[in-house]
Amino acid sequence: MLSNICTGAIKGIEGFAVSVEVDIAPGMPNLAVVGLPDAEVKESKERVTAAIRNSGFDFPLKRITVNLSPAELRKSGTQFDLPIALGIVAASEQLSETAREKLSNLLVLGELALDGSLRPCAGVLPMLISCKKLGKTAVIPPANALEGQISAAPFITPHTLRELADYLEEKIPLSNVQLSYVPPTEEPLQPILDFSEVKGQALAKRALEIAAAGGHNVLMIGLPGTGKSMLAKRFPGILPPLTQEESLEITKIYSICNLLGKSRLLTNRPFRDPHHTISNVALIGGGSTPRPGEVSLAHNGVLFLDEFAEFSRSALEVLREPLENGQVTISRAKETVSYPARFTLVAAMNPCPCGNLGNPLKPCTCSPMQINRYKNRISGPLLDRIDLTVNLNPVKFTDWKQETQGDTSAQIRARVLTAREIQKKRFAQTATTANAFMTPAQIKQFCPLPPGADRILEAAMRKFGLSARSLDKILKTARTIADLENKENIETKHLVEVMQYRPLDRKGVADL
Amino acid sequence: MNLGISTEERLARIRLNAFLYFRADWLQRLVDIFGSAQEILKQDANTLAREAHLNPSTAANLLKEAFTINPQEEWDKTEQIGGHIYVPEDEEYPQSLRNCKEAPIALYVLGKLPTENQACVGLVGTRKITPYGRRVAQKLATELAQCGVTIISGLARGVDSVCHAAAVKLKKPTIGVIGTGIGRCYPPENRELEKALLACGGAVLSELPFNRPPNAFHFPRRNRLIAALSQPVVVIEGEVKSGALITAKLALEQGKDVLAVPGSIDSPQSGGPNELIRQGAGVVTCVADILDYIPQASRFGLDLHFFEHTVQTPAKPEEQLSPREHEVMQAIADGQLSLDQIALAIKADVPETASLLFELEVKGFLACENGLYSKNKF
Repeated sequence: MLSNICTGAIKGIEGFAVSVEVDIAPGMPNLAVVGLPDAEVKESKERVTAAIRNSGFDFPLKRITVNLSPAELRKSGTQFDLPIALGIVAASEQLSETAREKLSNLLVLGELALDGSLRPCAGVLPMLISCKKLGKTAVIPPANALEGQISAAPFITPHTLRELADYLEEKIPLSNVQLSYVPPTEEPLQPILDFSEVKGQALAKRALEIAAAGGHNVLMIGLPGTGKSMLAKRFPGILPPLTQEESLEITKIYSICNLLGKSRLLTNRPFRDPHHTISNVALIGGGSTPRPGEVSLAHNGVLFLDEFAEFSRSALEVLREPLENGQVTISRAKETVSYPARFTLVAAMNPCPCGNLGNPLKPCTCSPMQINRYKNRISGPLLDRIDLTVNLNPVKFTDWKQETQGDTSAQIRARVLTAREIQKKRFAQTATTANAFMTPAQIKQFCPLPPGADRILEAAMRKFGLSARSLDKILKTARTIADLENKENIETKHLVEVMQYRPLDRKGVADL
Repeated sequence: MNLGISTEERLARIRLNAFLYFRADWLQRLVDIFGSAQEILKQDANTLAREAHLNPSTAANLLKEAFTINPQEEWDKTEQIGGHIYVPEDEEYPQSLRNCKEAPIALYVLGKLPTENQACVGLVGTRKITPYGRRVAQKLATELAQCGVTIISGLARGVDSVCHAAAVKLKKPTIGVIGTGIGRCYPPENRELEKALLACGGAVLSELPFNRPPNAFHFPRRNRLIAALSQPVVVIEGEVKSGALITAKLALEQGKDVLAVPGSIDSPQSGGPNELIRQGAGVVTCVADILDYIPQASRFGLDLHFFEHTVQTPAKPEEQLSPREHEVMQAIADGQLSLDQIALAIKADVPETASLLFELEVKGFLACENGLYSKNKF
């Protein structure tokens, strides 16, 4: 006998429909799974065998062939347990004709426990979204119910294989396997850590405001304890709120990584701060079964790299692609997948290995060579993708006392939102989303040099050794500053302010 | 070339000179005991130890070390890059070194050595230069070079490089005494500077074998040569324990005058000079303070009348500053302030402070290092 059940699998962050064909033929008892299954899919054999038996069905002692089609795509994940088990039960004629009829209208996903109960599995949300067009009712584990609600596809959530079979046989009513509808829960907005809690550091706050307004990447250089991490943690709070589309995108990514926890629609911008010992693959994504990395988990949010210079050189270099394209393409021998990774990079580092360079109270113990080597760990191409660099210096107690209350996150966010509105209008017809992603042609169009700019740029090149290549960066940032002030055109004062955010001094120590 | 010394003897001296674990005057003493370097190298370790009252293992080491280099090769390589190897018997060997108790028994020279009565001033200081040290070094070196004084320094990072570069900028000769063989360049970023220095009629000296890599103990050793070649020696910046202070100590031992540039008592890099002043070193606040110490015999041909004693160099006229810019300058005073602190002091927001600072920096009134602004005095 033959049966055919529809299920789903993941490629990149998109789902695709997979049909599970089960054929039972006379012969030596055997269960073979074909169709490029990964290790966890092959293992499902054992779970399926036990679950069928423990659900009160007979496991047919015949030659069973399970084919996952389309056969050329790799299939990973544990969601195949339930469709395979159901297929075997159906193909061995343990279900009635009506039940089999009903079965053909279902999209079945779920991992099985040995006792036949359904366990949650990863990636339910993207699979449901992608398979919605098939018009089938989804069968998903109860623990994934909220993802079903987010996807807005019809779904049922049986607790066990037996319950599902009973429902198909119409022995139990629909209400037993269906949750009464609850609107998709949203993640509660995190209490916003407020910028006004950070004393001093007006320059750094300003830089972060510009970064939030124009989608620019920031590098903060400062002594330990000057508030680099504190500022970075407050950065998501001044970013504009996620749009419905954006939050769906990140929820999908988190669903694939099984990181949704109490599965909900994510409504806070992600803030990822991986440790500097992270491997390239964990940062960028990949592995023999590709998985999104930290850069994708930070999609539409903030990737905070503390101790930037301590990251391995190769880990920093792999960041170049996502910073440039907003996505990561992982090519492996068997397949190529892309993950979205459009994030704002907030990096922080000490001015020197010992961390005391420029500290008025503690002398720096590093040799000039060490300092140079430390700074040179951040390669030129990577620095080119960081528009704003800012030095943080310790706040003296006297300054700390007289410091006026800075702007609150809400105030800053309001300004950021205005600037983003202007950009939205500016880039309405294009793929560009913010000033930081302008193409050279757009820079030419939207960033005309103000009169008197030549003098400033000439002086900057002579005095600070800025290269002509950094001109684009300067213009993009100046555009954002002008947007923050709601100015039609870039003015000289905007350019001058950008000079404060010039990159790391890369001159040799003996350079004069 | 002096005919009083044979080629074989010269090569033997070069060999002997490779033994760096002895002070140069001990080597000279050995030469005196045995009559010639050739004779020393013919001895076996035991005889050498007995005759010269050396520890037998030291004697064995000396011979071993001496035979690690090939003197002919040293000679050829040095000639190839246009250099010479001098021994004290040579006419070209600098008189000031010959007078020194620890004169090297072989000296590798690239470029042109100063004449006997050339005024030579040693400018030494830390590798970890502060903005203040940079300013002072640049000013003193420039003015000394303008006077026609040859600057002696160590071609190291920091103060040394600044001093050499200042003279090179004026196309005046300066002399770098280096802590590696002359076939090498250390630090590597000074390669261009070294070339420029030679092109300006300066010289690079070393007593180390041609290809000797840098090593921590080479540097205090070469400092005695800087001291020997200079009169006076000026310490610009340096911690209380630093190479610059070793140079000062060696200079004092050689009877040279030691001068120091006073600095802030907070700055560890000024700890050395301040300590020297406490011990009685001359205070340098302007170039005239240095010129006073140049020996009479060397004063001919110097343009001395340009520089009068001044307590403090007048700052650039600040009339051209706007009132707001004045406020910034006043806020900074003598400190190093971040933009935030300046903004607080003048009660301005970040964009306004940024443009004020940009203007002042471009006009040359301020210098910025690691996000801290300080006055650019000279």
